[in-house]
Amino acid sequence: MAAASNSVRRARPLLGTFVEIEAAGSFQPDVLSAVEAAFEAVSTVHQLMSFHDPDSDVGRLNREAHVRPVPVHALTFEVLEAALEMNRRSNGIFDVAVAPGLQAAGILPKTGRDVSLTAEPGATDAIMLLEGNVVGFRDAGVRIDLGGIAKGFAVDRALSILRERGVVNAIVNAGGDLACFGEETRTVCIRHPRDPGRIVCQIQLVDAALATTARRFDPFHSTETARPAIIDPRATVAACANDGATVRAASCMIADALTKVVMIAGTGATELIEQYSASALLIGSDRGLQITPDWQHAVHLAA
Amino acid sequence: MTEWIRFALPVTAIASVVSPVYAMEYLSIEEAQKQAFPSATQFTAVQAGRIWKAEAGGHVVGYFIFDRVVGKHLYIDYAVALTTTGAVHKVEILQYRESYGGEVRSPSWLAQFVGKTNASPLKINGDIRNIAGATLSSTHVTEGVKRILATYGSRLK
Repeated sequence: MAAASNSVRRARPLLGTFVEIEAAGSFQPDVLSAVEAAFEAVSTVHQLMSFHDPDSDVGRLNREAHVRPVPVHALTFEVLEAALEMNRRSNGIFDVAVAPGLQAAGILPKTGRDVSLTAEPGATDAIMLLEGNVVGFRDAGVRIDLGGIAKGFAVDRALSILRERGVVNAIVNAGGDLACFGEETRTVCIRHPRDPGRIVCQIQLVDAALATTARRFDPFHSTETARPAIIDPRATVAACANDGATVRAASCMIADALTKVVMIAGTGATELIEQYSASALLIGSDRGLQITPDWQHAVHLAA
Repeated sequence: MTEWIRFALPVTAIASVVSPVYAMEYLSIEEAQKQAFPSATQFTAVQAGRIWKAEAGGHVVGYFIFDRVVGKHLYIDYAVALTTTGAVHKVEILQYRESYGGEVRSPSWLAQFVGKTNASPLKINGDIRNIAGATLSSTHVTEGVKRILATYGSRLK
């Protein structure tokens, strides 16, 4: 579809990937400043929730929350609330306390205070969300990583800023976690998890969010993909039977978190997907592709 | 809910005849300059094609640096706007290209893009506007920004 005359499309390196924002409105300067504010919102989430930055809320929590309660930004608190809710609903499959396991698997870097490098199943239960956006950890071994949910949240934040600022049509894509609003139907191409130069399918999307978790790659070096950055909190080894999961949901944060559950539980996540009125697509390592029945009209397989 | 619907994907080894390309052009250097420093009335080259000084009313308001990262299957043009104190004001991606089946480093592959601007967009996989799947790392650009900051952060004052 041809871009509207007052349409703006920009990309910046944020959240460890490329964040792209396309927005259209009636007056170009307003659209530009809205896009600027939306990138700003993504950058704020990045600064608050980065595992790598010792000064982020996550960095401070992992260092101090087992000793004393740590006040965090309202946005970080909001994401933690959603993460704990998802942990409860998924019977522990979605778990932000898997950071030690991710560190052991080499997916996250080691920090100064790594008491243990094994994720304790149920460690999320040791996270206390207290009055006034204060967070404490009951156990010294708890370390969290919001990498499985914060990117989706950042996309939601960017989109709500664009909406507030009068943009009529927009899409925000943070390295595959994306959301759009407006009347336009967007076509999203999903890469083949083992051959990222190829497209597996196209998905039609209107006014919704879509998140994908899959094997990782960097065409800067190679087309070879590496295993997904996902571990099963119930298992002790980093292993995943699936290559990729794509989820559609009302918010990108929920879609983002659900992809982790679908990657691990596969079709066992059906009930949870229904609870969130979401749809899912799963690519198994056996190259089989499965789609929830409600979604088949919007998913078109590539030839 | 009834059962999930199952499909078999074609075997990866059967590659398509056309080498897949995903390309996006966001901004020209001139557009990026204006948006990084809207108040600037003049951009003077400090180093041709690479570094510009942004000026407004005879005062320097910042610096604009153009850079490119070229990998095996990818090249990215980006720009870093620096404040007069040498801090990063903005990092913007100008062009993004992925190509498989041939290395982007080859001169013939790069040559097809010379002189292309927003006004003359290329028609390669023009239907792919939104792509998802394996998450791309932006490390090479972040490292490039760090390099620029280390090289010019204190020198351009």
